[in-house]
Amino acid sequence: MKVLTPITFILIFLFYSCQKVVTLKLNTIPPQIVIQGEVTDSAGPYSITINQTVDFYADNVFPPVSGAIVKISDDEGYTDSLTEFSPGIYSTHGLQGKAGHTYTLSVFAQNTNYSAVSTMPMPVKLDSVTLEITSGFGMQRINAIVNFQDPPGIANYYQFQEYINGQLFNKEIFIFDDRLSDGKYISATLRTDSSYLKSGDQLKVNMFSIDQNVYNYFLQLRQSSGTGAFNSTASPANPTSNISGGALGYFSAHTTQSQIITVY
Amino acid sequence: MSKWFFLFIILLSESVSYGQNRHTISGIIKESRTGESLIGATVYLLELPRTASLSNSYGFYSISAPKGNYTLIISFSGFIPDSVKINLDKDLSQPIEMVQRNTELQEVVVSSVRQTDNVRKPLMGVLKLSAKEIQDMPVIFGEKDILKSLQLLPGVQSAGDGGSGFYVRGGTTDQNLILLDEATVYNPSHLLGFFSTFNSDAIKDVTLYKGAIPAEYGGRLASVLDVRMNDGNSKEYQVSGGLGLISSRLNVEGPIEKDNGSFIVSARRTYADLFLKLSKDTNTKNSSLYFYDINAKANYKLGDKDHIYLSGYFGKDFLGLGNSFGIDYGNTTATFRWNHIFNSRLFSNTSLIYSKYNYDIDVTSGNNDVAINSFIRDYHFKEDMQYFVGSGNKINFGLDVIGITTSPGVITAAPQSDNFNSISVPDKHAIESALYFSQEIALSEKLNINYGLRAGLFTVLGPGAFYTYDSAGYAVDTANYGSGQIVKNYFNLEPRFSMSYQLTGNSSVKFAYARTTQNLHLLSNSTSSNPTDVWIPSSNNVKPEIADQVSVGWFRNFKENQYEFSTEIYYRNMQNQIDYKNGAQLIANVNVESQLIFGKGRSYGLELFIKKKYGQLSGWISYTLSRTERQFTQVNNDSWYPANQDRTNNLAVVGIYKLNKKWTLSADLVYYTGNAVSWPSGKYEVNGQAAFVYVERNGYRMPSYNRLDIGVTLQGKKTKKFESNWNFSLYNAYGRENPYSISFQQDPGDPSKTQAVQWSLFRWVPSVTYNFKFL
Repeated sequence: MKVLTPITFILIFLFYSCQKVVTLKLNTIPPQIVIQGEVTDSAGPYSITINQTVDFYADNVFPPVSGAIVKISDDEGYTDSLTEFSPGIYSTHGLQGKAGHTYTLSVFAQNTNYSAVSTMPMPVKLDSVTLEITSGFGMQRINAIVNFQDPPGIANYYQFQEYINGQLFNKEIFIFDDRLSDGKYISATLRTDSSYLKSGDQLKVNMFSIDQNVYNYFLQLRQSSGTGAFNSTASPANPTSNISGGALGYFSAHTTQSQIITVY
Repeated sequence: MSKWFFLFIILLSESVSYGQNRHTISGIIKESRTGESLIGATVYLLELPRTASLSNSYGFYSISAPKGNYTLIISFSGFIPDSVKINLDKDLSQPIEMVQRNTELQEVVVSSVRQTDNVRKPLMGVLKLSAKEIQDMPVIFGEKDILKSLQLLPGVQSAGDGGSGFYVRGGTTDQNLILLDEATVYNPSHLLGFFSTFNSDAIKDVTLYKGAIPAEYGGRLASVLDVRMNDGNSKEYQVSGGLGLISSRLNVEGPIEKDNGSFIVSARRTYADLFLKLSKDTNTKNSSLYFYDINAKANYKLGDKDHIYLSGYFGKDFLGLGNSFGIDYGNTTATFRWNHIFNSRLFSNTSLIYSKYNYDIDVTSGNNDVAINSFIRDYHFKEDMQYFVGSGNKINFGLDVIGITTSPGVITAAPQSDNFNSISVPDKHAIESALYFSQEIALSEKLNINYGLRAGLFTVLGPGAFYTYDSAGYAVDTANYGSGQIVKNYFNLEPRFSMSYQLTGNSSVKFAYARTTQNLHLLSNSTSSNPTDVWIPSSNNVKPEIADQVSVGWFRNFKENQYEFSTEIYYRNMQNQIDYKNGAQLIANVNVESQLIFGKGRSYGLELFIKKKYGQLSGWISYTLSRTERQFTQVNNDSWYPANQDRTNNLAVVGIYKLNKKWTLSADLVYYTGNAVSWPSGKYEVNGQAAFVYVERNGYRMPSYNRLDIGVTLQGKKTKKFESNWNFSLYNAYGRENPYSISFQQDPGDPSKTQAVQWSLFRWVPSVTYNFKFL
């Protein structure tokens, strides 16, 4: 529950006098390996991406890591050896993700072993996507609301994605946990900082049930964008990854479902 | 041990021998026009300079000497020195009224008066400010603020641009004990730190102890800020106030019974948010952002030996966004005190104190209606005895008991609410008690010492479940305690020692050592102070924070004491410091203690301070060179790293120039090294958005900070019945864009790049305040 967001908003409105892009002297660091990938309950193939970090002021071009040995096994004795489909992107062949099952990723790349485990939670039904229009301080904003029944008695973690006219909206990380809401009927606003949604847009919302480690990864990732504005964390750091062996990134086994609406 | 015991016997026997054939002169020192008691005035017998002593927090002084004829000399900064001929053949009562100097221009230096207390007294690491001293300084938002003025002194740093939060010698903001008439102020800020809770109209005296903390104070590691409220004019009624662009103040005071009792009520309110009401947009119109606070005090003299005081503070902040979100928060304090003079040498004060800080949040959206409440509250009993043994010999002892309750968070959801359940994190209970003793004694003409001991006991009480956690933060064991059951006792001895050795008539060297402990910890893991930061007591998981500090200093006065110079070096070692795991969940979390990590800290530095006390030009230069570091197993591979508040250089220059009787000009210049911060060195991509790679904690520095403020005070016509002045200030006069924070993002114009964005707060903040006073 981010209760401080409105305070931040008022303060920015009143006090922030200026904002400008600055060039900082940031250190050069040796490239680090980044592994990201998912197994879902929809049909495969699923892919794992392996690439490397670059310096802050370099272009957003991340060198792929080719020639890795990548395997995903489930808890029923099935192991899928992935094929490098394009540089740094590895695809499964016959693996089918199922809710309630545990998946183990193992990667051998650049003479190092990496592994990760993720359990796909049971699905939770996304009832509907509705819209909320708020105005104030000279801005009108349209935000999507996801409506669903949280199952009581178990800890649930959710991740949402918005596709606006087919384009992934990636400026915000939408995650939700039921720590304060167990068993409630949830209407959660997918809050964006400014008005990205416009009347007439086609909006697709994906809902994933994710496991706790993946939730923590995205929670910390959201906090790590710098010693930022008001109320940001005083000590940003790399999010805790569920991948052992020292790689950045995450491996998530999650359910998925989606709904499409037209913004009015 | 036996050596100490031996020393103790010597000191005590000296105390006893003083008792014979000696008489005492004692009384209360007051300001002539208002009857306000004066704290820290110097009193001594001209013939026996060693008798020098200071009036206490209630203006009481006591001096003993052999039978004879003497001249009693009384001096106090900003007042005309006074002298009284006395024939000491029996215990005498001598009340004193001192006359304030009209303007600094007319200051006459009376060479016979020794204004060298700063040199002679063993106290070091002590900073004093009076409301009068800051009245001509430039300010932000037109509001004089004692906490912001303090930040211009050595060893004290601002916690953020324009803010009232401060760091003392590498301590965090929660390591300062902030007292208003002895009541703890748990959150000393309004509007998220841009105003302090201290209304300068209501304040008499401010003392910050950062080195040799007297034994009567305890509970925080880094410093004690002792703020005393005005008693109110006991001679005549008076109304004063100020009108500003953002806030206004009104102050009413007067006698309850002339010379025997008085009252004061002081109130403020900001109205910066009123322009929101002009908006056509209903959401904006219904938003609010303001605070008010009230200080009130009354005192009454019950005969010659007893005096009672009742004082209180109440303040509240309101922040609201439309009808969907609202938070209000504030402090409430109440202090009842009873001064009793047992005899001319034994002064006692008994205090009953109440303090509370709470916040309430209300969130309404859709059919959700959720309230979040949290508070910290204490009931405090304090008995303090001061025994004036003889020349330069004073014993102080007492008892302190505080019952503390914290309610970390209760979430109440209306029954029809979606999304949220009602959740209650159980209240936590503790008792903090202490016995203390200290003695100040002149061992020779040149050597003064002050030694003391504070024995503190912190008792963690039930009811409640107390968890034990594994390294991953999962509860592995639960112990349940009933109401009033003792969960844990922490006993700590805190020795305090300071001494001064006078080298010449106007210079001395000093040494001090102090151990301090802290059992209440503020959980705050963001870049700014939040009203929702929660205090937690020590527990089975959270150990008391302990600090040991040594400091050495050299003090020297120049030019008939017109200039004061001092330099101090300090080293402080800190145990059981608290930091947070990545992604720590601090709000409404039953297992909040599992989110914490514990480590060590150290800070050391050099402070230089030169002050020109009076003359047409007055002011000071303060410079601090320091380092503050921490070590945590989980951070930076267990190596020492700079703390967030580590700032290498810190410079402040303050000048006040009295042009003539009408105009006063003032300026201050501030420079400091940027904070230690964690910035990314590299990046990768998650779902098409840049994610950042951090290599180490606090490996980078914010750009340095500097600022010039200027101010002008125009004195209006002064009559017997009315006084007024205009105060114009310009904060950040050359409009430097000082970085408040730097954040990192994908370049909105070019998705193939990332960029760093700097946010700045205040540039050229002008303000005008009109102050008036009716007598």
